[in-house]
Amino acid sequence: MTTVLAPVEGEAVGLAGVPDPVFSAGLVGPGTAIDPLRGPGKAVAPITGKIMKLHPHAYVIVGDDGRGVLVHLGIDTVQLKGDGFQLLAAEGDRVSAGQPVVAWDPAAVEAGGRSPVCPVVALDAEAVSEVAQGAVHVGDELFRWD
Amino acid sequence: MGERKVTVAAEVGLHARPAATFVQRAKKAPMDITVTRSYGGEKVNGKSILAIMALDVRQGETVVISAEGEGSEEILDELAEIAGTP
Repeated sequence: MTTVLAPVEGEAVGLAGVPDPVFSAGLVGPGTAIDPLRGPGKAVAPITGKIMKLHPHAYVIVGDDGRGVLVHLGIDTVQLKGDGFQLLAAEGDRVSAGQPVVAWDPAAVEAGGRSPVCPVVALDAEAVSEVAQGAVHVGDELFRWD
Repeated sequence: MGERKVTVAAEVGLHARPAATFVQRAKKAPMDITVTRSYGGEKVNGKSILAIMALDVRQGETVVISAEGEGSEEILDELAEIAGTP
């Protein structure tokens, strides 16, 4: 079993709360989304493992069991081309759950006309359980992947 | 073995929306679907979004999609269209 931690502080709103049909319909995978606290913050690794992919706006951590978790910082934020995001780790790095990966500011993303909502997705998973609802702090248990 | 060589057209490459759409279609296929960055390159499972994301195909890069068996030509056409859609 994998316990996935909240990568950002905010309100867990479920994937249905993501203004992007691919995420909200669960096509990327099951999980949830966090409407983040506005203001500068650090997004952390949701699980312990290796940073398989690191973009300024999104990252995938793969655990030792081969399970990958995607964290997407805001919607359509690929268009920002890294502006407003600072990498705190490198692709290929091994990170512990809770370790900072990207510094960003959800308020700035929102001011630019984009949703700062962060999908957190269990890639290739059938389902997840114990999904948190409401306020979450960084490092709180967000959901379980059995 | 059927194959399609496709230039990935989406701005984000074969990530996020294009990757999810591709994998959703591939998962419905009864046969194995493999994707590689070039002929003779490492083949990854086209039904795994993690594997597709790990392949890290950018806009303008080409991939080769392979499948064999009954109905594979149709499926390859559909997958090639997804990968080639801007």
